Amino acid sequence: MTAEIKLIFFRQLFEHHRDRRGPSFHNNNMAALCRGRHRWKSVKWTRLITRSVTGNSVLCAGVNNKAFIDGKYDYDVVVIGGGSGGLACSKEAAQLGLNVAVLDYVEPSAKGTKWGLGGTCVNVGCIPKKLMHQAALLGTAIKDARKYGWQISGPISHDWATMADAVQNHVRSLNWGHRVQLQDKKVKYLNMKGSLVDEHTIKALTKAGKEMTLTAKNIVIATGGRPKFPTNIPGAMEHGITSDDIFWLKESPGKTLVVGASYVALECAGFLTGIGLDTTVMVRSIALRGFDQQMAELVTDYMESYGTKFAWKCIPKRVEKLPSGALQVIWIDVMTGNEHKDTYDTVLWAVGRAPETKALGLNKLGVQLDKKTGKIIVGVDESTTVPNIYAFGDIGQGRPELTPTAIKAGKLLARRLAGRSTALMNYDNVPTTVFTPLEYGCVGLSEEEAESRHGKDNIEVFHAFYKPLEFTVAERDASQCYLKVICERDGVQKILGLHFTGSNAGEVTQGFAMGFQCGATYSHLLETVGIHPTTAEELVKVNITKRSGLDATVTGC
Amino acid sequence: MRWRWSPRQPINAAKLHRKYSSGPGDQVHRYPDRKMAHRLLARRIWTLSSKEIRRLPVSSAAIASSSLSTSLQSSTARVSLLSPSHAVPHAPHRQVSFNVQDNEDFTERVVNSQLPVLIDFHAQWCGPCKILGPRLEKAVAKQKGRVAMAKVDIDDHTDLAIEYGVSAVPTVLAMRGGDVVDHFVGIKDDDELDSFVSKVIGQ
Repeated sequence: MTAEIKLIFFRQLFEHHRDRRGPSFHNNNMAALCRGRHRWKSVKWTRLITRSVTGNSVLCAGVNNKAFIDGKYDYDVVVIGGGSGGLACSKEAAQLGLNVAVLDYVEPSAKGTKWGLGGTCVNVGCIPKKLMHQAALLGTAIKDARKYGWQISGPISHDWATMADAVQNHVRSLNWGHRVQLQDKKVKYLNMKGSLVDEHTIKALTKAGKEMTLTAKNIVIATGGRPKFPTNIPGAMEHGITSDDIFWLKESPGKTLVVGASYVALECAGFLTGIGLDTTVMVRSIALRGFDQQMAELVTDYMESYGTKFAWKCIPKRVEKLPSGALQVIWIDVMTGNEHKDTYDTVLWAVGRAPETKALGLNKLGVQLDKKTGKIIVGVDESTTVPNIYAFGDIGQGRPELTPTAIKAGKLLARRLAGRSTALMNYDNVPTTVFTPLEYGCVGLSEEEAESRHGKDNIEVFHAFYKPLEFTVAERDASQCYLKVICERDGVQKILGLHFTGSNAGEVTQGFAMGFQCGATYSHLLETVGIHPTTAEELVKVNITKRSGLDATVTGC
Repeated sequence: MRWRWSPRQPINAAKLHRKYSSGPGDQVHRYPDRKMAHRLLARRIWTLSSKEIRRLPVSSAAIASSSLSTSLQSSTARVSLLSPSHAVPHAPHRQVSFNVQDNEDFTERVVNSQLPVLIDFHAQWCGPCKILGPRLEKAVAKQKGRVAMAKVDIDDHTDLAIEYGVSAVPTVLAMRGGDVVDHFVGIKDDDELDSFVSKVIGQ
């Protein structure tokens, strides 16, 4: 070999060694060193020599290369999407000894908002949402505090910039945390947009346009979704924002119109009202589609009494920007057919989410998408119509759009890909909570679903209106604090669904979800002793049925 | 602040190689990884050789001026020739505390620094970093130029932070002659910082 080739050869050896093991390789002890040496033996020397001589290396960014020789791929698994699911899957796979890379790229929103590693949940979803929800709840708590003896003088006001800054700083710390975790777990992280060239090749693009090609034995798609803009409303995209933008605003959104009645719309409207902003929710038909409608009505009733305005059965027609900078929205009342208009500082569209599949190039590979939703059709093992391509998380058709299910599904998929397990993800009995001002937690079937599956006569619904102790001194209205347990009418009376509105509904529901998972029955519930004084104990005390028609208000202690 | 210029010894490549390669018995923890050691070695050789070239005009000028008469003009000329800000662009070295701009800047001002350097890895979103920052500045200022401080924002310089194994912030590394000799993570109070800095300088 000439001197040049020798130099390239040895550099390739080091780079190959380094990149497979990660920079912290030498921090490990002798055991790791031994593992490394074993890895060396499995590497094909002929492959390295060939690559050095031909000057090809997929490890050099910017060099376009389709490098798999002798049937070996660059990576065992490449995950496209660095969100809740993608990160969990890649870290688990790497821990099980696979060679993993994860690609994460955030296409800026229409307004130009972008964010770091972590996906929707960390950056523009659960985390900032819950923090802002907490900010709003604290506002209510301060008002209650006066009744409890706190000497708080004067009206209280909220500064958006302070809250947004604190929330955004926390999110950035999470971005960093995820980056460090990927490094520790030896996952190769690429801040690049991935698209599929064929079932084993991915083309990755940086923001600057530099290209890189990766080959993988298995490809996992976890790109999630993005908020939709309405297509038939002039001015919607130019003047409106979505949940991608609201959490990253530097200034207060001011008087806001939230269009939509999903949990995204209601949660956003909820905290905006809570921090003192004039907020209106425009609902086309019903609120919280897919959830139990009785509970949805309680949630929106509470929000209305809390100060959120609702424009029921209204559809926006167009959005115009006025010379003052404010937005004029013209809408139609579906019931009367009349047109109305009003001005707002911000219009927030929460009319659904679309799967991120366009940039992937799935059609030419034969990965089937659902015709209506555009999501990827997946099997029970997260497989797609192409053998070595998998998809899970929000992108999977029929899957819940939740972080915990994505994380769990990702980990199980990683174990299956590593050949360590055959366990499939169980998507049943998934609990969830809507973090509106009055929170709503549930697990299992809604009453409508239970009726349709089992028949109205074969179910028993135990329910209760309760008053949290904390509301008494604070003189707060508890009319919407309610719970119901839907059970089978006969036999052991297995619990089919559990629904609860109240403070800390998420905390309350989590524990009951475990009982649900274990197949709890109504008698199990009654056998459980309550913790006093809590609101959760009302669930184990519930005894009035809907069928009886009796007053379900809890009285006494 | 006067700097004493003296002709450097010729590079002993073998000695450098021994110093920077880690073998059995070497303290592996001094370098986060072999890759970094190789990189440091490469940087060191490159910048040292370029420094050698740069230094030649100044030392020859110093020799020339010392042979001049002791008139005010020539002595000022000598002083100005010897003074660091003239001819050779070394102004950045004079700052005791500075923000790192990029990888080259880091190599030049930190790895190849004559002084021991504290590297303050911090982030905009990190509350404790905002408390530690001023304390570090104070501790460094107390040393009156015997130690420098480089500030690295880990979001702007993620690769650098990852290379040095930073996970939590604030993380402070102490570097002397290109080697990481000490470090700590989290907040320290003024006394703890003073003793940390003194140890780094070698008092």
